[in-house]
Amino acid sequence: MSEKNRLHWVTAVIELLKTLKEAIIPLVVVVVANGIGRERSGNFWLDNLTLLIFGAFIIFTTVAGYIKWKRFVYWFEDGELRIEHGLFVKKKRYIPFERIQSVDYTEGVLHRPFGLVKVKIETAGNSSVLEGSEADLTAVTCEEADRVSAVISEAKRRRRTGAQEVPEGGGEGIGALPDEPEEEAKTLFRMGRKEIFLLATFSGRIGIIFSGIAIFLSQFSDILPYEAIYDEVVAFIRFGVFMVTAAVLALMLIGWVLSVAWTYLGFYGFTVSFDGDDLFISRGLLEKKRVTVPLKRIQAVRVSENPFQKMLGYVSVKVHSAGGNAKEGGAAIGLFPLVRKREVNGMLAELFPGIDTSAELNRIPERSRPFYYRLDFFWVLPLVAAAGYFLFPYGLLALLIIPVIILAGLWQHRSAGWAVTGRQLTVRWREFTLHTVYVFRKRVQSMQERQTIFQKRRNVATVTASFKSGVMPSKAPIRHIDEADADRLMDWYDPGSRMRETGAVGGTPASGGE
Amino acid sequence: MRREPANRISEKGLTVWRIHGIFYTLIVLVPAIAASVLAYIFEGPIWIYMVSGAAVLLAAYLLIFLFPKIRWQRWRYEVRETEIELQHGLFIVKRTLVPMVRVQHVDTSQGPILRKYGLSGITVSTAATNHEIPALMMDEADELRSRISVLARVAEDDV
Repeated sequence: MSEKNRLHWVTAVIELLKTLKEAIIPLVVVVVANGIGRERSGNFWLDNLTLLIFGAFIIFTTVAGYIKWKRFVYWFEDGELRIEHGLFVKKKRYIPFERIQSVDYTEGVLHRPFGLVKVKIETAGNSSVLEGSEADLTAVTCEEADRVSAVISEAKRRRRTGAQEVPEGGGEGIGALPDEPEEEAKTLFRMGRKEIFLLATFSGRIGIIFSGIAIFLSQFSDILPYEAIYDEVVAFIRFGVFMVTAAVLALMLIGWVLSVAWTYLGFYGFTVSFDGDDLFISRGLLEKKRVTVPLKRIQAVRVSENPFQKMLGYVSVKVHSAGGNAKEGGAAIGLFPLVRKREVNGMLAELFPGIDTSAELNRIPERSRPFYYRLDFFWVLPLVAAAGYFLFPYGLLALLIIPVIILAGLWQHRSAGWAVTGRQLTVRWREFTLHTVYVFRKRVQSMQERQTIFQKRRNVATVTASFKSGVMPSKAPIRHIDEADADRLMDWYDPGSRMRETGAVGGTPASGGE
Repeated sequence: MRREPANRISEKGLTVWRIHGIFYTLIVLVPAIAASVLAYIFEGPIWIYMVSGAAVLLAAYLLIFLFPKIRWQRWRYEVRETEIELQHGLFIVKRTLVPMVRVQHVDTSQGPILRKYGLSGITVSTAATNHEIPALMMDEADELRSRISVLARVAEDDV
């Protein structure tokens, strides 16, 4: 048993700041509701009530943070990471090394001056949505973090070599690499400044900034002297529509600049590297993050290309990994947020040796073209009719939406495709962005073929492959393909029919590892 | 479409769905009565009674007779050595395939109405998706559950 370790004292400060950050909105509300614009009653306690609450809260939080730090110990024993914390209720969490999925590092602004990192230890548990399936070591020195991850990976390696006889999934797994001696992590991908800037420019974060500003303003709506502002606004409007527009544009520009800056800082130095077993993604300037993704747990790879990216010759790549925590939606992990299209296949091949990115895709049959827009009419036509009726002359403009929907449907129909190459399924479909998913049969959790009455008449069917992404299922839809093809896809997936087939052919060994 | 799965669910399941249909009809009935009462109090036009009555009758026909029947006729399942196949769906025929090796666990569950008829539902969970076979005879469901869990245990694989 190694001795019990304590975190760095900065933990207490971080805890304090975290609590304050979470409490800032209620605190502001309390201050505003109680303190401002009230007449003095002469009673010291009453007058300074908010300040007192404030002070008590800060003292309490400080003490709580200190205690939290003081009581938190972790150590290694019996092949487990053991954590003990809590003052009144003592909580213990023992995590066996082999259950640990990944060890992630985050380096916050407070960590930097002391050479510390936050270590996040993730397990695969999915029942613990509420409790969190991980253990956080809020602040430890870099050497200590390296020691922790060395102990864990050493233990895992020992266990793996011990269990070498058991074949690992027959090599069908996406990223089921042959066990090779541990080597230095190899850098695969580094995002250039230009790419980061482009990513920042097109990222959706601008919305977050705006809602942030809105929340900020709404918090102060109580303090703001509305009447005075109202008068000013009236004057302002008189001043001219031009000025209003300019102000709005300026605000948007500021929001955009902020969002670009934010994304730029977040993705600064985005690097992907890998050794035999794990993928490491590190990024960030002010707050450095390093995420570890075990290659074995990667379920599917998704390449996305929206029209803007297409114009510039870029795509983005995400990987769906099993496990991961529920807070982040267990969603796909950004592998290459923005990467040159012509480079991506090579890098994917290097990372996932079994993957086939150049398979010829089957197109969707001509006759199913109407299916790509017809369903939308069910909800669009009533809306158009209502708009046309109630907003009479201008409402008719809503009719313009119909050709748009048809064109979008045609576009989706033309872009979609699918292919089966050996044990791999490739599905391409378009929402607005064009997605291509590569998934191995072994990683498909279930498959569904569906057919409406209308589809039956035209002999087409939709097939959906579900695979695991974090704690949630993710789906790859193959819409409106020929019924015979749909059946063939189901047969490809159906282990029973595969067995019968190989039995009929005679002598071909059944696919291994399944 | 491929060959249909072999087994139907219990005929009593149809009865249970009809009972559910009665409850759903009650949901339509309440606003219909409310509308009629209001129409009576405020001396509303006669068509309000007619529309509410028609709505209730239509809902009753669809929810108690037609939909459960189609649904029952459509529902099929088959548990084979290596996979489970389900077929269901009212307007959209859905055919789902779950390989045994993907099955993580199997649950049976039973509400009060199902219990009264000695029925039970069974839920097959994979790492990502859940699939339910509703309304099986209780002993059949239990047997199926243990069979699936035995078959599923044969091959264990990393998710």
